[in-house]
Amino acid sequence: MSRIDARSLIGHYGTALAGLALILFFLIFAPNFASTTNIVNVLKDTSFLAILALGFALAFTVAELDLSIAEMASLAAVVCGWMVHAQYPPAVAVAAALGVGVVLGGLNGYGVTVLRIPSLIMTLGTAAIAKGLAFMITQGVAFVGRWPVGFTGLARGYTFGIPNLVLWMTAATLFAWGLVKWTRTGAHMVATGEADEAARLAGIATARMKRIGLLLSGVFAGLMAALLAANLSSAAPNMAGDYLLYAIAAVLLGMTMFEPGKPNIPGTVFAALVLKVLGNGLVLLGAPYYIQDIVLGVIIIGSVAFSASAMKKAAFKV
Amino acid sequence: MSDPTPLLSLRGIGKAYGPVVAVREVDLDIFPGEVVAICGDNGAGKSSLIKVISGAEEPTAGAMSMRGKPVSFASPHDALEQGVATIYQDLALAPRLSIAQNVFMGSELTRPVLLPFLRILDKKRMISESQRYLSQLSAAVTDMTRPVERLSGGQRQAVAISRALRWNAEIIIMDEPTAALGVKESALVLDLIRKLKADRRTVILISHNMRDVVALADRVVIMGAGRKYVDRPVGDLTADDIAHMIMAGNAKAA
Repeated sequence: MSRIDARSLIGHYGTALAGLALILFFLIFAPNFASTTNIVNVLKDTSFLAILALGFALAFTVAELDLSIAEMASLAAVVCGWMVHAQYPPAVAVAAALGVGVVLGGLNGYGVTVLRIPSLIMTLGTAAIAKGLAFMITQGVAFVGRWPVGFTGLARGYTFGIPNLVLWMTAATLFAWGLVKWTRTGAHMVATGEADEAARLAGIATARMKRIGLLLSGVFAGLMAALLAANLSSAAPNMAGDYLLYAIAAVLLGMTMFEPGKPNIPGTVFAALVLKVLGNGLVLLGAPYYIQDIVLGVIIIGSVAFSASAMKKAAFKV
Repeated sequence: MSDPTPLLSLRGIGKAYGPVVAVREVDLDIFPGEVVAICGDNGAGKSSLIKVISGAEEPTAGAMSMRGKPVSFASPHDALEQGVATIYQDLALAPRLSIAQNVFMGSELTRPVLLPFLRILDKKRMISESQRYLSQLSAAVTDMTRPVERLSGGQRQAVAISRALRWNAEIIIMDEPTAALGVKESALVLDLIRKLKADRRTVILISHNMRDVVALADRVVIMGAGRKYVDRPVGDLTADDIAHMIMAGNAKAA
């Protein structure tokens, strides 16, 4: 391991420690923040954000931006809700949500690697298509109903006293982390994202890696969508729209931690927690709702500025 | 040349980009353990020729063989698998990744975990093997987890060469290996090439630096207007002699 000095310690853990301090601050000062109910709620909220952000992080690992995650999730939730509504078994409904992610994530990968459309544009197009389809399926209204516990329990249930949502988040995190850090595919994805041309010359199938990154982004959006629908017992065509900026913020804030300047799995998940704690704490402290958006914007810009300066050069490129 | 069978042999190689012919009817034999310098002015066709040998581009005419067997490289990776590695000047390394990650990029080592078919990266072995390659090249780097961007230019070349060694490449193509380096770093790279030669590896060197060519190469090939018109042992040629031959070639082409 490289030499540890004060500067690299701050570079690696500075914002993580700040996040920890923030959590402690709210634990002490925000009324009711420390109640079990509230903490469980924050963790559940974090799960949705973390799973979606992990997908974005995997796409970002291969240096592609997936701006369609939230709309893919909305469409997947609607398809999932539709299935539940039509009395299909929960497993089929979940598979359908994941399937939406596979199809749209696959479409993104095809557009980026075969048609050579920049991911920024390709995924915006996919997002618009997904949004339109979601409204088409629901005709603008939401699927609401008394859904079977077999489905809603996926999100609302507990296993060994731990909320299922938290278990899903843990599983998604371990999967993403194991993939990126410990498999050849993960190493190839990282190399592709870091130096496309060098990776190609070293024999790595870079286009395939990009397709895998974007595909997984879709799958994670599908998983998040199924859980979101299960948790709310409803599926509306715009239900995940607000998550896009939060997910981007989580990944970018995560890039200031642990492995500065690189999209990384532990950073993404911890940043998702910090963002949700911050949102919840601000509400409990009585801050007006619009403060959250302003704070979010500052975090997005500040994270990138921090990463860039931590790397001592503008190596941050999209 | 003690070994009569060429390691790599080109016959009538041509490369055209639409109507523009960059390489015409080049015959070239490379023998095991040789250091061959390919020289020529800009636009002489040496880069295009090298792209064909390294698999970056396919020739539009002619044929290649290795150890007497016909080969064709559809990609640099193809060439790598046949034992021809190219050290590209800037493109070959991922600056923010570690030395070990760079050396094993695309050919990572794995080990089984829990189940025989479940394989994870063998980071420890990749670190120790990288160390071995680099010390083989006498490069004074100890921490294999350091990002490549923190290394000097010469050390980066050593990392790139280590990757070629990792692939067990017999022919190592080096494109302007000292062009971006200072005097001290250049000396380090020249030493690296001598080490490769001592190790019986074959090196194809593209260089603008005639002193490097004279110091290292066994044979010099000079290109002009897409053709090979000089192919001779370096012997007692001086840097000036080679420069004159290159200019003479330009005059002929014009």
